[in-house]
Amino acid sequence: MRILIMEDDVSAAEAIIKGLADAGHEATHAPDGEAGLEAARGGGFDVLVVDRMMPKVDGLTAVSSLRREGDSTPVLFLSALGEIDDRVTGLKAGADDYLVKPFAFAELIARVEALCRRKDTGGQATLLKVGDLELDLLARTVHRAGVEIDLQPREFQLLEFLMRHAGRSVTRTMLLEKVWEYHFDPQTNVIDVHISRLRSKIDKGFDRPMLQTVRGAGYRLDA
Amino acid sequence: MRLPDLVRTTSFRLTLLSLALFAAAAAAFLFYIYIATAGEVTQRADEEVGREISSLETVYARAGQAGVNQALIERTIGERPYFYLLMDPAAKPISGNIAATPVEPATSEARSSFRVTETDPDGAIRRRASWGRQVRLPKGELLFVGVDIGEGQGYVLRIVRATWGAGVLVLILGLAAGLLVSRNVSRSLLGLKRAVAAVESGDLHARAPVRGVGDEYDELASGMNAMLDRVERLMGGLRHAGDAIAHDLRSPLTRLRSRLEAALIEVDNGRADPTESLIQALEDTDGVLKTFNAVLAISRLQAAGQVPNPQLFDPAELCSGLAELYQPLCEDKGLAFSAEFSKGLQVRGDRDFAGQAMANLLDNAIKYTPSGGAVMLRVRRRSSGEVECSVTDTGPGVPIEERPRIVQRFVRLENSRSQPGTGLGLSLVQAVAEAHGGRLDIDDGPGFVQGAAGQGGGPGLRTALVFPEPTSA
Repeated sequence: MRILIMEDDVSAAEAIIKGLADAGHEATHAPDGEAGLEAARGGGFDVLVVDRMMPKVDGLTAVSSLRREGDSTPVLFLSALGEIDDRVTGLKAGADDYLVKPFAFAELIARVEALCRRKDTGGQATLLKVGDLELDLLARTVHRAGVEIDLQPREFQLLEFLMRHAGRSVTRTMLLEKVWEYHFDPQTNVIDVHISRLRSKIDKGFDRPMLQTVRGAGYRLDA
Repeated sequence: MRLPDLVRTTSFRLTLLSLALFAAAAAAFLFYIYIATAGEVTQRADEEVGREISSLETVYARAGQAGVNQALIERTIGERPYFYLLMDPAAKPISGNIAATPVEPATSEARSSFRVTETDPDGAIRRRASWGRQVRLPKGELLFVGVDIGEGQGYVLRIVRATWGAGVLVLILGLAAGLLVSRNVSRSLLGLKRAVAAVESGDLHARAPVRGVGDEYDELASGMNAMLDRVERLMGGLRHAGDAIAHDLRSPLTRLRSRLEAALIEVDNGRADPTESLIQALEDTDGVLKTFNAVLAISRLQAAGQVPNPQLFDPAELCSGLAELYQPLCEDKGLAFSAEFSKGLQVRGDRDFAGQAMANLLDNAIKYTPSGGAVMLRVRRRSSGEVECSVTDTGPGVPIEERPRIVQRFVRLENSRSQPGTGLGLSLVQAVAEAHGGRLDIDDGPGFVQGAAGQGGGPGLRTALVFPEPTSA
């Protein structure tokens, strides 16, 4: 995937580019908002990673200009620990996701990949399939290898999110934000308990576990 | 304070203004009295003259001009203060004690004020104010009767003079009072000014003196002192937080550094896999970041004094989501979890911060309550109209004397140090509560619970995030 990094901190940008390259993505760097806008207008990017504070044109302005011009490329906002309503302002300006610096690298990659995936599967499938696991969004049923699995509503949402991001890591914060819609730090890893319950339901009795724990990152559903 | 300074003060100027207003009112009042009194003197004179004329007209009716003539002679001999003049129809004097009528034109019937000149026994010439009336008698003769009103007018003049004197006295006294008042006010403000100057030059301990008389200066001074107390406390809090951050971050940063160094040595020597050390290092970093985030959130809430973009939300809806999130964790720890939500409540604030605060309270309850205990999440409206979101546990509780301390930054009680935590959880709850205009209540829990006590339970703890009643629902 091609990713544009708009970031004035060159060493931070280099680290991000290297990390994304290791994960198999091609990243381009723009050192300020003006250059970033120019590159973004050139098109061809799957995701834009935009730092909020940049010289010449700041991140908020850059993203709102792009949105005004009809560019709907997914945007991940990066922000140094700033004002408390940063997230809301950023999303209002047209960003699709928001990440506060300093962040875990796994978090950045997981979110960037989630945004790419979102672009990939723009259409709304009603049946999700990962390996022998099937999730029917209309009937609200889950089957693995033909065996029906009974899930609580939240477990269903959790599995849906994992299946939509199958093969990629999702972090605990992402799950908390996207599945529970909470934007705060729950201190203890409450998510782990929910994951282990889900795991016991979908993996128990099967030889090959699908729900993997990714050390230092989060979880991954493998086919 | 020197006099010119005193004259410049607001209180002195206000005194002058009220003095001027008072003087104007008094002058208007006295002018009215003068007019009324002077009119009274003339009116009385006119009545007297009228009586004298009607008495002489009676004489005329009975005895004719000769009779009046006779009466005039008799009356002018007496000590009566009247002036008489009987004239023929052409106003030529016939008899009387004045030489000519003061009425103009001389043949008309009219009232007139005039002056008579008389010589005192000691030779001084005095002009005295008089009042008179001229009438035409039935056969055409003219009769003028006047009376000396000098005495009455003199009385009025004396009143006027006395009034002027009193006015001057009032002005002098007023000015003196103005100076006194402004000096008094300046003195009362002096303490405040000194305190302000001291704070300005950096002494945050300076306080304005409160004299204890309970006047508005005292109110101002105690208000200012309360403000300074808060500023000092906040500054102290910042300093404390700075020290605490330094203290709290030094050890994990040191640990982090040595882990990385060890990993590097391991790699250099090709001896072992450094992965474990690196993972540990990452975890240490996350801990440091967590502390940073919490400290920043607290500082921003305290600095702003309110949450950004407050909106109405249903606390029961927020808490039922949290209940669903935390219930499995409770069950895994062997805690009975229950929840009770009142429907239809609303509070104004920030959903995320409120959620963070409640998550912190739940987290604490779950962390410190031993297995076999219970945790209860409850949302209800108090009779006062406040809305409380409370978490009750059957854990070891917190002694009353320790409660004020546990909300302070980085304060962790002895028996809690074994548990993971930043020491900022309750500080953040408190900051969130205050930013919502509410508070954090810490009370006893349900007491020693059977079953729980046998497994190291305690009196329990009840923590509540209390929101004020939303003003505009």
